[in-house]
Amino acid sequence: MLLENKYYQIKEMKMNQQEGIFRLRLLPDCDIYRGHFPGNPVCPGVCHIETIKECAMRLTGKKLSIASVKQCRFLAMAAPSICPEVNVTVGVCPVEEGFKVTARISEEAKVYVEFKGLMTV
Amino acid sequence: MNKYEIEQLIPQRAPFRMVDELLNVDGETAVTLFVVQPDNYLLDSEGVLAEAGVIEHIAQSASALAGYLSREHGNSSVPVGYIGEIRNFRSYSSACVGDVMRTTVTREDVFGDIVCVNGETWASDRRIAELQMKIYISPND
Repeated sequence: MLLENKYYQIKEMKMNQQEGIFRLRLLPDCDIYRGHFPGNPVCPGVCHIETIKECAMRLTGKKLSIASVKQCRFLAMAAPSICPEVNVTVGVCPVEEGFKVTARISEEAKVYVEFKGLMTV
Repeated sequence: MNKYEIEQLIPQRAPFRMVDELLNVDGETAVTLFVVQPDNYLLDSEGVLAEAGVIEHIAQSASALAGYLSREHGNSSVPVGYIGEIRNFRSYSSACVGDVMRTTVTREDVFGDIVCVNGETWASDRRIAELQMKIYISPND
């Protein structure tokens, strides 16, 4: 896991075979914010993609690669000061090549990220 | 032909800067270079750059193009872009420490503050990835 305990910390997780809900704390002291952007710490969208991949790896218990992203929408700007904690909801559906993964990062009614892609083992 | 240093073109800085050089701009198309270094933030334990790192590199390549066009229009600062949407990303091969990534980005459309970009990345003769993205450009301060 590249970002666990550097960019985020898992506070709580609930998983069954097809779905997991992860409660994460975004770590405001992460080094990434020194460069993204100086004086304006904003979560890089791609770090949310990597976070979703890491949650999918926990859920499936397998090392995964992102083979394709059909669509990933970033609906609101996120930062540790805006959303210190978020929920990552991940669903996986086994297919021949690996897993179809759908995921959402949200906090209460606000959705930050929606992801649909294919991850392979 | 590009006379600017990369940090004059993009707002991202270490340890999250993922473009080294803007090589060339031809109209709405730019070519960039990035060498994957061992201290990259998005490397796994085997020195493979995560797909998220490839996507960030393509996004920052688009940012370099936007920065270049902004400088050429006489602006003293460069715009900050945020990824709004990624579509049809395909990963073909992974990029590792030492690989020289060469990316072509093309602006397809501009709707107000939203720029639609196609990007494709190669490392020598290996195609790494391609995608389409929408980037929200925050106006200059």
